[in-house]
Amino acid sequence: MIGLRRSPQRRRESAAAAAPHGPLRDYLSTPFPDQGTPLAELPLLAIDVETTGLDVGRDRVIAAGWVPVDGTTIDLSGAQRRIVGMRMDVGDSATVHGITDDAIAAGAVPKEVLVEVLEALAGRVLLAHHASIEIGFLSAACQRVYGAPLVVSCVDTLALQHRVLTEGVGAPADPLPGAVRLWASRERYGLPPYRAHEPLTDALACAELYLAQMAELSLRSAKPLSLKAVQRI
Amino acid sequence: MVDVELAEVADFLAGHAPFEALPGTVLRDLPARMTSRYHRRSTRLMTVGVDNNDLIVVRSGAIEIRDADGDLVSRGGEGTTAGSTTLVGTNPSRFDVVAIEDTLVLLLPRGVFHELSAAHPDFADHFDAERADRLRMAASSVATNAAGQAILRSSGRDLIRQAPIVTVPIDATISEAATVMTTQDSSSVLVLDGKRVAGILTDRDLRRRVVARDIDLHGPVAPVMTPDPVVAPAETAAVELLLTMVERHVHHLPLVEDGQPIGVVTSTDLMRLERVNAVHIVGDITQQRDVAGVVEMAGRVPRLVEQLVEQDVGAHDITRIVTSVGDAVERQLIALAQDELREDHGPPPRYCWMVLGSRARHEQALGSDQDHAVILADDAPDGAEEYIAALADRVVEGLEAAGYPRCEGDVMATNPRWRQRLRGWRREFRQWIHEPVPDAVLGASIFFDSRPLHGDEALHDRLAEDIATWVPQGRKFLAHLTKEALAHEPPLGFFRGFVLARAGENRATLDLKRGGVGAIVDLARVHALGAGLVSVNTRARLLAAGRVGAIDADTAASLVDALEFISHVRLAHQARQAAAGTWPDSRLRPSDLTAFEQRSLREAFHVVRGAQQTLSQRNPTQYYT
Repeated sequence: MIGLRRSPQRRRESAAAAAPHGPLRDYLSTPFPDQGTPLAELPLLAIDVETTGLDVGRDRVIAAGWVPVDGTTIDLSGAQRRIVGMRMDVGDSATVHGITDDAIAAGAVPKEVLVEVLEALAGRVLLAHHASIEIGFLSAACQRVYGAPLVVSCVDTLALQHRVLTEGVGAPADPLPGAVRLWASRERYGLPPYRAHEPLTDALACAELYLAQMAELSLRSAKPLSLKAVQRI
Repeated sequence: MVDVELAEVADFLAGHAPFEALPGTVLRDLPARMTSRYHRRSTRLMTVGVDNNDLIVVRSGAIEIRDADGDLVSRGGEGTTAGSTTLVGTNPSRFDVVAIEDTLVLLLPRGVFHELSAAHPDFADHFDAERADRLRMAASSVATNAAGQAILRSSGRDLIRQAPIVTVPIDATISEAATVMTTQDSSSVLVLDGKRVAGILTDRDLRRRVVARDIDLHGPVAPVMTPDPVVAPAETAAVELLLTMVERHVHHLPLVEDGQPIGVVTSTDLMRLERVNAVHIVGDITQQRDVAGVVEMAGRVPRLVEQLVEQDVGAHDITRIVTSVGDAVERQLIALAQDELREDHGPPPRYCWMVLGSRARHEQALGSDQDHAVILADDAPDGAEEYIAALADRVVEGLEAAGYPRCEGDVMATNPRWRQRLRGWRREFRQWIHEPVPDAVLGASIFFDSRPLHGDEALHDRLAEDIATWVPQGRKFLAHLTKEALAHEPPLGFFRGFVLARAGENRATLDLKRGGVGAIVDLARVHALGAGLVSVNTRARLLAAGRVGAIDADTAASLVDALEFISHVRLAHQARQAAAGTWPDSRLRPSDLTAFEQRSLREAFHVVRGAQQTLSQRNPTQYYT
């Protein structure tokens, strides 16, 4: 099946042709990093979204945080955090992400946040822990605003962690439940504990985890790793 | 709305020096001016010979810093910084920085570092002063009595506060002086010539020099007083006053301020203080009529040290007291030996018995071995060498019995080479200084820490003056001394086990002498001798060298603090060993150290290491050409 799937670059090109003029089309017109890009030179954008729930159709993004990763360096100067304004109540989800209705009432227009994310992501690989959440919600937002889906080139630190835990010599076929979660994964590398569910902190936590995973996987590999070696779409 | 607060990073920085000193607004914005990287264990963050343009801050994990020779400079975990030398100083890096655990770091770019340094002096100072300051606090905290009754810390002024000063003019009669003493209920009276202290008259003087000799009481006081008595500045610490009295054999010590007397401290005043067992021991030693008695008294020293350590007396004072007891033991053994030899050899020739090394520097600890030598007068009669040989045999044997082992290097008066006439000694020193042979100099450095203990001090003074004149010109000699001062590295590697709890148990022991006290002693010696200074006490040498600019004054002060702290830990360790019945040494196991001691010792060794590096770099050619 893998062989029949088109490359992210091809999917991006055809999506760009179909997208309306504007920020989404601009984003889709910027080439993704080539599959052969060495990890030491790969530009990524670690991103985390907080939502009102897990239903992509009904729930909404209420906050997003992102930070660029340039090869082996996290560029903290590019770190951003946005709270999305909306008229609906965040309800019980506030107990998870701690973002209150008041904060959301004062937040930015959803479309403006989406534009900023698209600008930050252009030319970069999307990096997230359990990336389908981020991709699903961002794509749904694009559908609502532009009437077209989001196409990304993506690296998922959850999938990478699964590989880290299962590919080693004598490693179990399946890691223990919970072992691939963000905070457990970080603990394995001795990375500092953070307060969870603040979107910028989660994005930074994911970026740091990626650097650690990359260091470990590079050590196991005979030749320098490229994007292709760590990519899951 | 721009909202990029990287709270986790800002909180981390706020918890670590020197960032904690930055204003909140600066801290909040700082993370966005940094980058972050991850390094696998045993990969390099900085490399000797390669430029570095960031301040490295360890976010998690641990790093170690090694110099170009691969020698360990320091290790540290979360919050440790590295790379400042290439930012404050010059590129390329003179150090390797290696991750010794998987390590996440934050990097502060050069431009931001300098911006912060310029705007926030605290931040800038940190990188120079951090070690010195932390150490100073450590040193003072161990020397301060928690109960607030540090009596040996009190000064002479505190002791004379109650008693009014008792004086008579120089033209008073003996009767008038005795009357003043009686009405003022004082055991002494100062005899003043104008405002100056011309002499002192004591109860004992009245008994011995007046009554016993049937002197006319209406005659002048001047002939029976002790003229030009030993005086001390009013602020002198009680322990110093005590030791002065013991060493000078006086019981009354006038205190002066701006050259004028303000009172008299008596040995009784001092004995009323709680902690002066040293006085009793020294006093008892001088009463002993045989070697066995002296040996028994000397056996009390370990318990005395234990008490002084418990009472938080500073290491500087404790080593002075231990030295003082050692002096008393050695003097009494010499006196007993002279009594014995009188029958067969008659009176002794003119000679000076000198002590060397730690004793000479007033820095004796427990378990120190004997180091002494004899200067004979050039005009001493034939056979004087034989007399000294016989004397030395007896003294060395007595000292050994009293718990002072023979010197391994045979630097003792029993060695014919170390009992010479003055001209022989001058020849010996001239050779060491002007035509040094490396090995000979290494063995000889102990002779540059000498002090007369018994006999004719003028012989020693003459030699000391010559040495002080010759040494500053002896460039090759100073080069050898410099080399020696750099030979004993502070045992910084020892601390790995503490910094890295996960690195496993460190079974090695920490040597507080070689790279610690000994290294500071060597540094002080080379700086003081190079500047032609005559002090032999390490603290005095450092402070004097700092005053004349032979060494940076702050560095000198830091070394004094380092010496005090390391010595204190060492003495406490030795007292524990003595109490447990084992022979006192200078080697500690990790389990012997508290977390505070670990941290502070590490800082102290850093100071030593820094001073060694400065010495080796500052004038690389000065002494070697």
